Amino acid sequence: MKCGSGIEARQVNELFINIDPIQAGGRLTGDAIKAIIAYGDGYSVCDNCRKPNRLDCISKPPIAEFHKDVAAWLGMDAARMMPGARRAFQAVAHTYVNKGDPVLLTSLSHYTEFLAVEEAGGIACEIPADAGHIVTPEATAAKIDEVKKKFGKAPVLAFIDHVDYQYGNLHDVTAIAKAAHENNVPVLCNGAYTVGIMPVDGKAMGVDFVVGSGHKSMASPAPSGVLAVTEERAKEVFRTTTIEGDVTKRKFGVKEPEMMGCTLMGATLVGMMASFPHVKERVKHFDRELKNNKIVMDALLSIDGTKVLSEYPRKHTLTRVDTMNSFDKVAETHKKKGFYLSSALNDKGIFGLIPGATRVWKFNTYGSTEKQARYLADAFVAVAQENGMKISV
Amino acid sequence: MLSKRAVDMVFQATYTLTDIRMILRETAPTHELDEKQKAETARLLENLERQVGSLKQEML
Repeated sequence: MKCGSGIEARQVNELFINIDPIQAGGRLTGDAIKAIIAYGDGYSVCDNCRKPNRLDCISKPPIAEFHKDVAAWLGMDAARMMPGARRAFQAVAHTYVNKGDPVLLTSLSHYTEFLAVEEAGGIACEIPADAGHIVTPEATAAKIDEVKKKFGKAPVLAFIDHVDYQYGNLHDVTAIAKAAHENNVPVLCNGAYTVGIMPVDGKAMGVDFVVGSGHKSMASPAPSGVLAVTEERAKEVFRTTTIEGDVTKRKFGVKEPEMMGCTLMGATLVGMMASFPHVKERVKHFDRELKNNKIVMDALLSIDGTKVLSEYPRKHTLTRVDTMNSFDKVAETHKKKGFYLSSALNDKGIFGLIPGATRVWKFNTYGSTEKQARYLADAFVAVAQENGMKISV
Repeated sequence: MLSKRAVDMVFQATYTLTDIRMILRETAPTHELDEKQKAETARLLENLERQVGSLKQEML
């Protein structure tokens, strides 16, 4: 079925259980789909844009109220919706980082955090994660000392992932922020895998910025995200324009340079807004998500030779496993080679495993019902049994 | 002649179909509906038939 010339209608989430690690939390709510149908046209949210003519000030639809609600929900003082978490990293880096400035990242940081630092001319200084793939406050303090010795000054900014994309491990942002603040280093908490998934309170964590991803974790269309900040930082990152044309003497009111005036418009913004009440509710029930993840993990770990590389017991549903001594052994002799696993799962109605992956791979059970989690667990065990693997009860 | 009702019915029917779509998502990949989901689907389909009927009245 086509939805445009050469564009196949995507039915992945109607036909399959989707365990793609980056897609699970971004699947839309019914209300978001309805909102997109109504607001798909270009400047749809701008029908009632009045002075001061800035997106986050529009009251119909209630965009201004939504911005305030999101900031309060994250325990912060102000928020702007962004075209993706990466644009929030960019806005913050551009505000605080000058050429040659050291910036703290971690050995588990997402590449877009590196690019934001690079674009601002900063130098990446990674806090190494420990043997369990956890970034600790002790390692943070040690890295700051190392940076001070090398550069003669403290890092100008720290990007700390709340849950990292590689292992789905939960890092102690509160303690890390304390260590950074003792050296006057502002802290950005990258909540791309937590904002909209589990409770996040920036003020309680003591961070300066909270960044979330709409399309990764807030049941929203891409590209969407949020940058929430403290009152102090709002004056800096959300500063208003001062430029003036030399011929026309034009000025541009309350537009914000880091936001390039207005940020997230139309269907993406309204999609976020429509999902927001559901997202606020679902973070309160993250324990259910962990229970469903455990159902799948128990099944996977019952397959002899399978190991979990993420911290265990799991504190997040994004999980990295090592199946070199289970599924990968079969790939050595299977006629489909490593593709047999994703192929067999597809045949059972499961989507999201990288085709060919049988050694180390990630999956995310977020948003599955218990029934779907049990189906998924049974499917992994069934594929293992069909291929002669031993199951420990 | 402007027909606000026809426009409303197009949106309502699309939204009803969206609700059915969400049931398909929740029950993937087997689409085995429990009794509650079957009752909800029946209600939605009745609404859809009524909405399409209204649309026929308005537009034909």
